[in-house]
Amino acid sequence: MTDPLLLLQAAADTSRAYGEFPVIGARAFVWITAEVHLMFAAFVLGVPMFAVVTEAIGIFGGDERYDRLSKEFTRLLLVAYSATAIWGAMLVFGLSTLYPRFWAYLTTIFAPSMWLYAALFFVESFTLYLYYYGWDRWKKGRAKLGHWTLGILLNVWGTIVMFIANAWLTYMMSPPRDITPTTDPTTIKLWHAIANATWMPINVHRVIANVVFGGAIVGAYASYRFLAARTEEERAHYDWMGYVGNFIAMSALIVLPFAGYWLGREIYQYDQSMGITMMGGFMSWLWVIQAFLIAVLFLTGNYYLWIGMGRIPGAERFRPYTKYLLIVLVLGAIVWGTPHTMIADSKELAAMGGSHHPFLGALGVMSAKNTAVNLMILTTFLSFLLYRRANTRPVVPWARAGTIIQGAMFAVAAGVVLFYGIRGYFVEAIVRIGFSVYQVLAVLSCIVFVTVIDILMARGAQSLGAIRWGRMPPRSQYALFILAVTFTWLMGLMGFARSGIRQYWHVWQVMQDTSKYAATPALGYASKMISLCVLIFLSLVAFVFWLGGLAEKSTFVATAEGEKGARHVGH
Amino acid sequence: MWATNAKIVGIVLGTLALYTLIANKIPQVQSEVPQALTLGANVTPEQLVAAGEKVYTGIGGCTTCHGLGERAPNLLTDEKGQGTIGARCGKREPGKTCKQYLYESLDNPTAYVVSGYQPIMPVMTKQLSPAQVWSVIAFLESQGGTVDVTASDIPTTSPASPTSPTSPGGGGGAGGAAFAGGSTDPKAIIQAAGCLACHKLDGQGQVIAPDLTHVGSRRDAESIRRKILDPASSVTKGYEKLAGIMPKSFGTMMSAAQLEALVQYLAAHK
Repeated sequence: MTDPLLLLQAAADTSRAYGEFPVIGARAFVWITAEVHLMFAAFVLGVPMFAVVTEAIGIFGGDERYDRLSKEFTRLLLVAYSATAIWGAMLVFGLSTLYPRFWAYLTTIFAPSMWLYAALFFVESFTLYLYYYGWDRWKKGRAKLGHWTLGILLNVWGTIVMFIANAWLTYMMSPPRDITPTTDPTTIKLWHAIANATWMPINVHRVIANVVFGGAIVGAYASYRFLAARTEEERAHYDWMGYVGNFIAMSALIVLPFAGYWLGREIYQYDQSMGITMMGGFMSWLWVIQAFLIAVLFLTGNYYLWIGMGRIPGAERFRPYTKYLLIVLVLGAIVWGTPHTMIADSKELAAMGGSHHPFLGALGVMSAKNTAVNLMILTTFLSFLLYRRANTRPVVPWARAGTIIQGAMFAVAAGVVLFYGIRGYFVEAIVRIGFSVYQVLAVLSCIVFVTVIDILMARGAQSLGAIRWGRMPPRSQYALFILAVTFTWLMGLMGFARSGIRQYWHVWQVMQDTSKYAATPALGYASKMISLCVLIFLSLVAFVFWLGGLAEKSTFVATAEGEKGARHVGH
Repeated sequence: MWATNAKIVGIVLGTLALYTLIANKIPQVQSEVPQALTLGANVTPEQLVAAGEKVYTGIGGCTTCHGLGERAPNLLTDEKGQGTIGARCGKREPGKTCKQYLYESLDNPTAYVVSGYQPIMPVMTKQLSPAQVWSVIAFLESQGGTVDVTASDIPTTSPASPTSPTSPGGGGGAGGAAFAGGSTDPKAIIQAAGCLACHKLDGQGQVIAPDLTHVGSRRDAESIRRKILDPASSVTKGYEKLAGIMPKSFGTMMSAAQLEALVQYLAAHK
């Protein structure tokens, strides 16, 4: 190992503090490699999570379709793992050759965790090979449970690997306060650097986001196979697979904003100025773009569900309500996307009488935005609920009372959200921030209790007919593509937000970026980089999927079962 | 199938193009690296105000909170009938001029938190250079008041309060005496000179250049003095490739008393 002292001495030679990359420059190279690596990493961490869940449903529910689905998910991982490693290696080479001074600093602190990272990646890869190639060998009884355990281990290794990498990047954002520019990096304790203020919020946020991302990509894969299907059975299978992917992605998406609140709060608590830069400084407009993207996700996700009702006998009862759901979603999206704190020059500020337009400012504040997003979440959950109940009629004696209670829970949750939203205009900011907790709790409680009632009410429910899997118009599948592209773009955007709030610091207020790329670019440039990264990632994923198709036929088995397919996730 | 593939590619590219287009249509704000603001000895109030406005609306990030009326008081527009900041700053604290009040508000924001607001403002003197801080003060004074910030308020190397005893009359003046506020405390000199950015001393600082913790055991006072005044005069063994990195300007920045205080302090580190 290189002596850290020598590394630092070498780093003092400013002519070698930064390297240059031809044509696109050092920052763009590191940006692309980091982002594409992260997208693949999110995919290979997210997919195993629901691969292991669907396998469990197959084992304990006795439905082999879930087992086959799980294997098909896992098959997508094999080549994706190689791609993750390749882009990770490119990132490391990029950092060590283009940002040697910074890289030397980081390795001085985190070297042992980097060795552990490499070792775990190795173990994780081999666990994956065992998991996939042992699928048909360990198919029955205890062997199957052992196989399932491999899937769990795969997730454990992957999660630890992610947590380790998160420590490095969160240290860059929020180094412990006792670390200053003059602190000798060799004196910094490893755990002290790892357990920094934003480490755990990022960990939790990324675990959930990976599930969302994995679900969206699997949904896109299934939609492609659906569109390319030659038989009704095959189409039915991939329709179902696309539904499961979308269900998982949307379910996890509903929880994601809460993890985001936590992360945001920790950033504010760590450093007010960083939080202000993020939410109200030069990144103000980023949140308007984010609101637009999330509106697209909510609208497209609901649109997919509403189209899906067309293949469910009995769903016609609920179709008239969808227009009201659409109205709530659109209004919510408009409020959420209303600009608020914008950087303006003094003439513009004087003309407006503040940094926002007097009318738009009323909708742009957090009271309105929190209310909007919570109502959008409630609306989406209601869409799911209607979808779930579409082809059943409850027969339990308390079915009517149960439905009324469910309706009341929705009304109470919406009432709490609206009450605190309006009340927020009349209290100080510090009090208003606390109101979002009540709003979130009301929505989560509603989701949990309504779901419990619904499950109990569905016992022995009368079926109005099996879901006609495969009977979906192509536009529903294109909606899944839009979801996948939007999720991926959103991930790039939020990555830019997280990284960009450090501004001209490699390590916030500890190590300054003195390269010619130190300025943080505007959103226009960032959006081009994000689109490029998404395009590279999706092109490679398409290639990976095509390779997967070459190597092995789909795990889909054409049987009459696919046509029957009355059960699906949520029933 | 080709038609389906083409549609998928079209949807993907169309979605990406839409998002990119929207992100490029909104106002473009780049976060610049704070640059040293160079203001000559004969800088005019108008130049100070113009420079201050750029800092205020740009890298200072002041508009993020000031102007909303909810996170922080309005500064450029009327605040609760008291007028703009230039008109009210001199009345905020008895015995303090507008200039003093504004400087202290930037240097120690929690000192004068206006009623009804939270103490959320960061210490701006840590984020901006002295020239930037003073230009912002000039800009704020110009909002309904009289600009009395001059070049003499702006220290050349380190910030100084207008009430500081070493800078009577409203600020540290230019010139060598202002280095480390004119202090002969060796620790203050080391801090102001940024020695610890490269050297380690008593457990603090970087290890890029030779450790100074026991420098007195390998160099006498004369050698240390010569090394500070002419860093190229001798190079510590093992650090040959770093020769030329240490600035040659310390001799002109420090007063003789400061140099001697520093030399004796280091020489005592055996």
